[in-house]
Amino acid sequence: MFDFRFYEIWRSEEFVQVLFEGAFNSFWLTTVGGIFGFILGTGLALLQDKSVFVGLRLLARSYVEIIRNTPFVVQMFFVAFGLPILLDMQWSFFASALLAIMLNFSAYFSEIIRSGIDSTPKGQIEAAYSLGFKKYDLVKDIILPQALEKVYPSLVSQFVFLFLTTGLISEIGIEDITWAGRFISDRNFRDFEVYLVLSAIYMSMSWMFILILNGCRRKLFPWRAEK
Amino acid sequence: MNEATNNSIVIENMNKWYDDFQVLKDINLTIKQGERIVICGPSGSGKSTLIRCLNHLEIYQEGKITVNDVHVFNGMKNPEAIRVEVGMVFQSFNLFPHLTVLDNCILPQLRVLGLDKVKARETAMTFLERVKIPDQADKYPAQLSGGQQQRVAIARALCMKPQIMLFDEPTSALDPEMVNEVLDTMLELAESGMTMVCVTHEMGFAAKAADRVIFMDAGQIIEDSTPTEFFENPKHERAKEFLGQIL
Repeated sequence: MFDFRFYEIWRSEEFVQVLFEGAFNSFWLTTVGGIFGFILGTGLALLQDKSVFVGLRLLARSYVEIIRNTPFVVQMFFVAFGLPILLDMQWSFFASALLAIMLNFSAYFSEIIRSGIDSTPKGQIEAAYSLGFKKYDLVKDIILPQALEKVYPSLVSQFVFLFLTTGLISEIGIEDITWAGRFISDRNFRDFEVYLVLSAIYMSMSWMFILILNGCRRKLFPWRAEK
Repeated sequence: MNEATNNSIVIENMNKWYDDFQVLKDINLTIKQGERIVICGPSGSGKSTLIRCLNHLEIYQEGKITVNDVHVFNGMKNPEAIRVEVGMVFQSFNLFPHLTVLDNCILPQLRVLGLDKVKARETAMTFLERVKIPDQADKYPAQLSGGQQQRVAIARALCMKPQIMLFDEPTSALDPEMVNEVLDTMLELAESGMTMVCVTHEMGFAAKAADRVIFMDAGQIIEDSTPTEFFENPKHERAKEFLGQIL
């Protein structure tokens, strides 16, 4: 019979600390990368849908296609090892991880936001135009808020899914949760217990993200709550 | 006052096609300042399309439309200049669902007229009082009944201080009990001397408020007469048939 030995993790102060630090790093890299990814993704969605310049539309579209059809790990290596050579600059692996997360998230977010923008009822646009709105105000004040409200649940679930893929940043030495798991199991050889604990940490963090983001929903979109 | 400024809307020899299909045929219509026009006719006759051309929501291919002495044409640089002078009320209200009733009335004033918030709020409340729903100002559109929403839509359009109001079947999407509250609001507006062009099947409204009734069929204006004349003595067979069905 297999003998569970979780204390092989808890008894070492170092292991516990590594786990906490890992969770913290995963949390803030995902959060900050997610916020910037959301902003960039919104921009990409607007460029694709509303830009009058065909070149910009094409550029945004190509970017999204490239990111969505290449693996995250390759994008990250490209940012961490490829770009520094091209630009002849050096930056930390943390910066690389953050940048990779942001670029990756933005493409997925932009597709979701775009679906929201596309589903704007024609009447809303006509009403705004008939009142004398210019296109810029129409997009900013009417189309975008309604689109974001509509796709918010999809954005949340995409965000949580992408959070779970960030374990790959351990590949460039970022001390995240996955890195902590490998660190511990390399030393106590209790892989089963370690990865079980890791799963539990990822799962509770996912739930935490969902709870926080769903909690924000009413504040962000008050008209929805009043329906 | 010379003749040019006395006419709110002048449509001359106007033709419009959707691809191969001609929706409006040789439309000629002059509407004077302060005139109230009701346009009726069977569905598909081009009534809505016609009034949507007036504020450049639709383009037309031939002829000429002049609104308040401004030429409205395909490819014009700033249709906004026309649109602020022409208010429009839609069949499906089209209030902005993410804004409160008050903000629905305030935002266009801020963005289009460039007013400050205090002034815009004042104007908004004035018109919400006029359509008799100031108490709903802080609610969202989804919390209101259809009739209330349509009254807010009228107030929102009036906040822009338009010279002309277009109504595109404003009561067609309403429950029967709510039709009257909207018609009453429109009647009041008519009494205030606003130039109004209403596409509607509410013949009671036409009889009470309209100076002229325009009857359209298959993209053409086939009757243009006073309400009394139109109801009592329609000239065209098609108009008789139409009246027989809806009265």
